[in-house]
Amino acid sequence: MTTRIGILSAAHMHVNSYAAELARHSGVTLVGVTDPDPARGKQLADAVGTAFFATEAELLETGLDGIVVTSENIHHRALVELAAAAGVTAILCEKPLATTVEDAKAMIAACEAKGVRLATAFPCRYSPAFVRIQEQVESGAIGTVLAIRGTNRGRNPGGWFVDPALSGGGAVIDHTVHVADLNRVLLGTEATEVYAETGNGFNHQEWEDSGFLTINYANGVFATLDTSWSRPKTFPTWGDVTLQVVGTKGVLDLDLFAQSLAHYDDTSGSVGWPGWGSNIDAGLIADFVKLAAGEDVPRIATGVDGLRALEVALAAYRSAEAGEPVGV
Amino acid sequence: MTYRVALIGAGNMGGGHARQWSIMPDAEIVGVLDTRGEEAYPAGPTFTDWDTLLAQTKPDIIDICTPTPAHRQYVEKAAAAGKAIFVEKPLSRTMEDCDAIVAAVEKAGVPAMSGHVLRYFPEYASTKALVDAGGVGTPATVRTARMASFPQITGRTNWYADPAQSGGVILDMILHDFDWLRWTFGPVTRVYARGLFGLSEYEGQLDYALVTLRFASGAMGHVTGSWAHPGGFRTTLEVAGDKGLIDHDSNRSAPITASLRTTGGGPGVAFPESPMNPTDDPYYKELHAFIQALKAGVTPPVTVYDAREATRIALAALESIATGKVVTLNDN
Repeated sequence: MTTRIGILSAAHMHVNSYAAELARHSGVTLVGVTDPDPARGKQLADAVGTAFFATEAELLETGLDGIVVTSENIHHRALVELAAAAGVTAILCEKPLATTVEDAKAMIAACEAKGVRLATAFPCRYSPAFVRIQEQVESGAIGTVLAIRGTNRGRNPGGWFVDPALSGGGAVIDHTVHVADLNRVLLGTEATEVYAETGNGFNHQEWEDSGFLTINYANGVFATLDTSWSRPKTFPTWGDVTLQVVGTKGVLDLDLFAQSLAHYDDTSGSVGWPGWGSNIDAGLIADFVKLAAGEDVPRIATGVDGLRALEVALAAYRSAEAGEPVGV
Repeated sequence: MTYRVALIGAGNMGGGHARQWSIMPDAEIVGVLDTRGEEAYPAGPTFTDWDTLLAQTKPDIIDICTPTPAHRQYVEKAAAAGKAIFVEKPLSRTMEDCDAIVAAVEKAGVPAMSGHVLRYFPEYASTKALVDAGGVGTPATVRTARMASFPQITGRTNWYADPAQSGGVILDMILHDFDWLRWTFGPVTRVYARGLFGLSEYEGQLDYALVTLRFASGAMGHVTGSWAHPGGFRTTLEVAGDKGLIDHDSNRSAPITASLRTTGGGPGVAFPESPMNPTDDPYYKELHAFIQALKAGVTPPVTVYDAREATRIALAALESIATGKVVTLNDN
């Protein structure tokens, strides 16, 4: 008895890692992949040894337990609604869950109506280093948490990520949600107010490529977050996720991807920091497979968790527009 | 000529200045004013009265290293007496005092410099030089951090723990960053900050602030100030632009780490060290730059107006923390 999983769209680059994890999972049959671009879809299918389906309907008709949605952000709603209507057990939707609160709520409602469990792809929750500091915070190792300084910086991903008609924005919608989610897990409380400065000083385009957010929480904790696509082409790695958690008894500094080598490569003329830490996507996919098999998995982010993180990103846009802090 | 220096206040900072003056070839300390008298500066001569200090030592330079609230009165006295002035940061706790200091210096026409020593820290000076040379293209985001444990003063009242006097990490730590940022990236137009100062039951024991800045250039700034790090002093710096990135971490650049075994077999402690030639010490370099400006008859490189502007950013951050609102800075 294996869990049958399908993938809707290969637009988001994270699909490569998710598909590879699903393909090697002993309890999973990766039934197939769809994509509006057949060449891209077939390429992924071939790479992980699964079938390409020309339409979503054909893939869904095969009878699936789980669906992974990795389309452009703007299409998440339509695909999640389609999968929910097909009556799968669980759906894993790439982050951000949607580009509007309305879409996210509609997705959550569509899944609830059909008894489908909706999950948001927040793999950072599965970093062993994050799990460890979560334990330390919960055990009171640094006393009461007072503030968190976060970064989630990267290179400009290009492609549809810089077409707001498909992505919903630039660096802020791309990078706010991961750390907004981690903060929420650590604090167990909701964001109430957001202030944001945004800019386009790296690429000089209409969309923002940089964002400095301040997030105020219901329990009085304040946090800042750098969401910028500020890593130059010559930077040794794609980017970072860091948290500095300040408490009354001490400070925890987390650098999620610090487990890496420095590689000086004359062949390519570049320096790289290839990571050797545990694959965080593996933890996420393992939990999603359990969810699709009908098990309870407390660590996986739900649709509501995805909505809460999205609300912070959307508040950042409103704040940047208003030039003042705004309610979430 | 040897410049005659009267040192006002021989505490933490004054003691540091005294060491720099003692190795500077063209300056000497001729007297020290401190309420504690001889105890504060055993090498002497010490005074507890301004008029006597002035009459007996005939100084060329008044070097003001008192706690912040006394800066204004000594700048005004020194300016009225026509002396060259070096005044430590923060210039003051209030804009009213800052303006009075700037006015007193302008009216007297005396040379004056403020102690924004970060400009003389080689990693910060080098970063500015690299930015000025186009090393990152046009800067877009800049982040600095200054993290330490809560400051202690042995054997005396810890005025750092009195918010009314010290102003917490904003005025005592990251004011340095504000000055360096303004020097490197130009005027700041908007300030939003969150911090523990004035709001927390932990006041006087720890402080932590996260400040977001907008520059007139369009660049964005983020400054971390911490008196919540028990692990020792650390600074970090990152400038990212459309053609590159510079970053610095004091934890990464110490050339020496001594790991010493404790007697009794307990865990040892590692001590990082980053030694420089004595004349490359930032505190030496700033005082030396002051002397060079006096010799050349030019305006000293860090004016009291610069210090006023850095203080204005810091006070805006404190106002933002107190009100929860964005503070817009206009052009004056």
